[in-house]
Amino acid sequence: MTFDEGQGYVVLATILLPLAAALILIFTPGTQKMAVRYISAVTGAILAGLSIYIFVAYQVDGPQAQMNLNWAWVENVAFLGPGGISLRLAVDGISALLGLLTGVVAFAGALASWKIEYRNKDFYILYWILLAGVYGTFFAYDLFFFFFFYELAVMPLYLLIGVWGSTRKEYGAAKLTLMLVGGSVLIWIGIFATFHQAGIGTFDLPSLWAAGQDGTISAAAQKAIFPLMVVGCGVLAALWPLHTWSPDGHMSAPTAVSMVHAGVLMKLGAFGIIRLGIQLLPEGAEFWMPALMVLGTVGAVYGATAALTQRDFKLISGYSSVSHMGYVLMGLATMNTIGITGAVLQMFSHGVMTALVFLMIGALYDQAHTRDMKEFGGLARVMPLWVIFYAIAGLANVGLPGFSGFTAEFHIFVGTFRTYPVFGALAIFAAALAAAYMLRMFATVFFGPLNPHWKDLKDLTPIERLSGAMLIASIVIMGVWWAPFTDRVGHTVTLLPGVTG
Amino acid sequence: MGAEQAWVLAAIPAGVFLVLALFGRALPRGGDYLGVAAIASSFALFFVVLADFLDTPGKLGPVVNDIEWSSIGDTFDLRMGIFIDPITIVMFAVVVTVALMVNIFSIGYMKGEPRYHWFFAVLQLFAASMLMLVMADNLLLLYISWELVGVCSFLLIGFYWEKRSATEAAKKAFVTTRIGDVGLLIGIILLWKEGGTFNIQELIHLAEEGHFSQPYLFTALAFIFLGCMGKSAQVPFHVWLPDAMEGPTPVSALIHAATMVVAGVYLTARLLPMFEVADGMLLTVTIVGLITALLTGFMALAQTDIKKVLAYSTVGQLGFMFIALGAGEPAVAMFHLMTHAFFKALLFLGAGSVIIGTHHNQEMDRLGGLWRKMPITGTTFLIGSLALAGLPPLAGFWSKDEIFVVLEHRWGAWAVILLGISAVTTAFYTTRLFIRTFMGRPADPHVYEHARETPPVMTGPLVFLALLALTSGFVVFHDVGKALGFPGGITEFIFLPHHGPHEYELKWGFAAASLAMAVVGIFSAAWMYWGNDLRRSTALANWQPGIYDMLRRKFYFDELYQGMIDRGVLGFSYLVSWFDRYVVNDTGVDGSAQITGFTGGVLKYLQTGRVPNYAMAVALGVIGLAIAGLVVRG
Repeated sequence: MTFDEGQGYVVLATILLPLAAALILIFTPGTQKMAVRYISAVTGAILAGLSIYIFVAYQVDGPQAQMNLNWAWVENVAFLGPGGISLRLAVDGISALLGLLTGVVAFAGALASWKIEYRNKDFYILYWILLAGVYGTFFAYDLFFFFFFYELAVMPLYLLIGVWGSTRKEYGAAKLTLMLVGGSVLIWIGIFATFHQAGIGTFDLPSLWAAGQDGTISAAAQKAIFPLMVVGCGVLAALWPLHTWSPDGHMSAPTAVSMVHAGVLMKLGAFGIIRLGIQLLPEGAEFWMPALMVLGTVGAVYGATAALTQRDFKLISGYSSVSHMGYVLMGLATMNTIGITGAVLQMFSHGVMTALVFLMIGALYDQAHTRDMKEFGGLARVMPLWVIFYAIAGLANVGLPGFSGFTAEFHIFVGTFRTYPVFGALAIFAAALAAAYMLRMFATVFFGPLNPHWKDLKDLTPIERLSGAMLIASIVIMGVWWAPFTDRVGHTVTLLPGVTG
Repeated sequence: MGAEQAWVLAAIPAGVFLVLALFGRALPRGGDYLGVAAIASSFALFFVVLADFLDTPGKLGPVVNDIEWSSIGDTFDLRMGIFIDPITIVMFAVVVTVALMVNIFSIGYMKGEPRYHWFFAVLQLFAASMLMLVMADNLLLLYISWELVGVCSFLLIGFYWEKRSATEAAKKAFVTTRIGDVGLLIGIILLWKEGGTFNIQELIHLAEEGHFSQPYLFTALAFIFLGCMGKSAQVPFHVWLPDAMEGPTPVSALIHAATMVVAGVYLTARLLPMFEVADGMLLTVTIVGLITALLTGFMALAQTDIKKVLAYSTVGQLGFMFIALGAGEPAVAMFHLMTHAFFKALLFLGAGSVIIGTHHNQEMDRLGGLWRKMPITGTTFLIGSLALAGLPPLAGFWSKDEIFVVLEHRWGAWAVILLGISAVTTAFYTTRLFIRTFMGRPADPHVYEHARETPPVMTGPLVFLALLALTSGFVVFHDVGKALGFPGGITEFIFLPHHGPHEYELKWGFAAASLAMAVVGIFSAAWMYWGNDLRRSTALANWQPGIYDMLRRKFYFDELYQGMIDRGVLGFSYLVSWFDRYVVNDTGVDGSAQITGFTGGVLKYLQTGRVPNYAMAVALGVIGLAIAGLVVRG
């Protein structure tokens, strides 16, 4: 076993560990609520540790795919050649960063669910299955398993929202799930079309990528398949106008699910556009990217504008996510190294920042049972720490230097200006709108005279503090010293097909 | 330590910020002594840097530390470093001096306020960011510091967040400047796009070589100048600065008079060689400065809040600095920046002293006659007022006079006449401010009875700044500069490469005209308000109520903007939200769900559950497929 393969088992562990946790929880009596919590907290901590290890161990001067693990699964069946389907895992610079994101958010989310009393065992089982799917998608180097894990991550959402959610939860859950499944159908068709067009009898992603680049998959086919992949993945990435599940879904979802969903799951969509779009169908990407640029920009401006007059915290964050994921799509659509690197940084930044926002919203909603911001005021007096945490998330959201949002958006803006200056200017303008909707919320909720009705609200619990502090650390590190992030991501992005310097 | 380590100046307050923010609450007296100590050490180290800078002739230019920051592939290479030249030195001097005075003053002013430690913490963060801003060698680091000082401003304006008005003012300040910053960031990226670097000196070099096409350079610089206008509150972005007076008064002195608001002037001065290359850019700068100086001069006439008068005055004086830049003279702009920083900080701190001395009164309608009760505050305030009005030999006279000279030289008499009007209004409102606050009959005997002089921790900084307001104008003279160790006067110290230094000479005609304008303003105000007697001014206001109302309501800028926000921006937002709910969601998403449901509802009747029906369907299907197969084979 080489060192690289040994590390491959670390990658495998990120998928198996949450599944193992789910299995252990199945056999834990549901009455042992504290045991359930501790098992989950320990799982989250180990996962975060593994993710940090993978991120740090990824060598910026090494080969693109590292920590390889390749287990043949199905081969030499009628339509499959040798190495047809294999559990092939590997890490590149992009997935190293997104794995780190998953680890941080999964741990923070596991802690944030501490307060759940109603069937918390079942909640955590679904939660860990979902996370196994997320890790699997990020690290899969096999098209079949990519889709398998993708679906594994999406499916538990329906139950998590439908059972543990709030506000119109059945509607939100059903809409979200149906839209995502609709997207999956498109991806599934796209996958088989690609497999058929490549004609090399394997689902091995590197082989298929090679086929996409050397013209084995014809340009015409690529142009035809690319929209299926991008629209399919785009649903999850809140591609305008397929974004409407986002405000409703977030409004219904319980805290930790919102955190993981906005924090990590939405990134699966954007990640899919890189893996199945840019890498697999470079000719298609070249043809369609200007269209994606338009939709991304519309999303960025549209989300920020709609957020300006919302009153429900979660709707603000839902629309703000549409706006920020719009930036991600813009960054991808630039097809240059700076823009795509910025897009990946933005996935991380938006992930940790939104997780923090939803954590804070949950901490308030659990006590106040309303999310209408007009009902609050002067909360800085009773919940100072809550206000500071939320303000940090908000300022990161606005793209303030020193926080991760600036690092990411700056790269996206620079990349966009390179090819589409007008869209770049619109995106920067949307960032100013972000300042307006965030500060409006701050002014209404945090400041002003305290409504005596809320004088008994409690500040963050120690567990919420730990959870939030981790997310804040991620936000600040990327905001202040971003070389470790750009090194890893840039290392991979420069090698993507069709990407200019 | 030499000029290469100038970053330490910013690092010390930054470190103290962390200490105060995290542990300040637990420290005795909120750790205010740490704040003062941090700025005092920066103040001391400034002289070390200055000595090193002056001693080494080879260093009379850039001092660059090139630190690799991050890179992506071969194309995107970010480097950070510091750059020190005479402009930076002047900014350092202003920032550390005023920050030190304000920190000391705040010990008295903020005594007993809640969140005392937080106030001092943010002051340190501000000082660190501001110092970083003026020594950044590249536009990216400058933009980062630029945003950070904006956040400090936001936090400090909204310091009394229990008050709705303070929160609203903080929001307005941040969002207004942020709109300018959109322009700044666009401009920076546009320069990078063609120039391939963020380094300021390299960009200037490229521009001078003609690397950028004319319209492109003009566009990029115009966007950058938007950022400068926002930060330095030039018309039409000026509306945030008067509202920013909601913040504690020491903050107004430091951030909204002496340092942060001059960041726009600093950046324009820093990039002035590029502005010179771009056709029409200097004229734009001049016109913006002139409009601002004129309008705000009139707006200040009808204000009754002493801090608001000073705020409009600041905006106007910033306009003066931009006019000097528009004439292509960074030295003159920086000279006025420095003298203005000292006397305006003095005036604001004096206003703060009045506020504390009269138990939180800042309306002229309730003040008057305070000189007798607060002799030190009154005398220093008088010195500051006369410096602002431009009376020789106080600091403001020399720097303002220089602006008239260079303006006439570059753009001719029409501009001087316009600016002259502004100079007269400046002298007028300053005199009015002084008389109505410190002289004549007390407007409110109760307030007057209880007024008292403030403690030495507050009057000390006033005296120090008053000395600077008296003397700092003399650095314009060659011999004074030389005696202080500078290579000549300030206009010889700061110069553009191809202009060369020029030695100051007093132009008697301009000096006389300048003095005349100050005297006209002072005497007409004295005639109008002498003895704090408002009969004449009331009669004037009643004679033309429309004009008076227009001045009092600041030419209706706020009403106009509020209308634009309510009807335009928020209206558009409501429209988008409505569209999202009812068109995209209810029609697009729920609609397709309903169609599916409806179709299912219809189709379910096909499932009759009777075997013969199904058998029939199967038979028909088989026949159909067989026919289809035959046709295809054909």
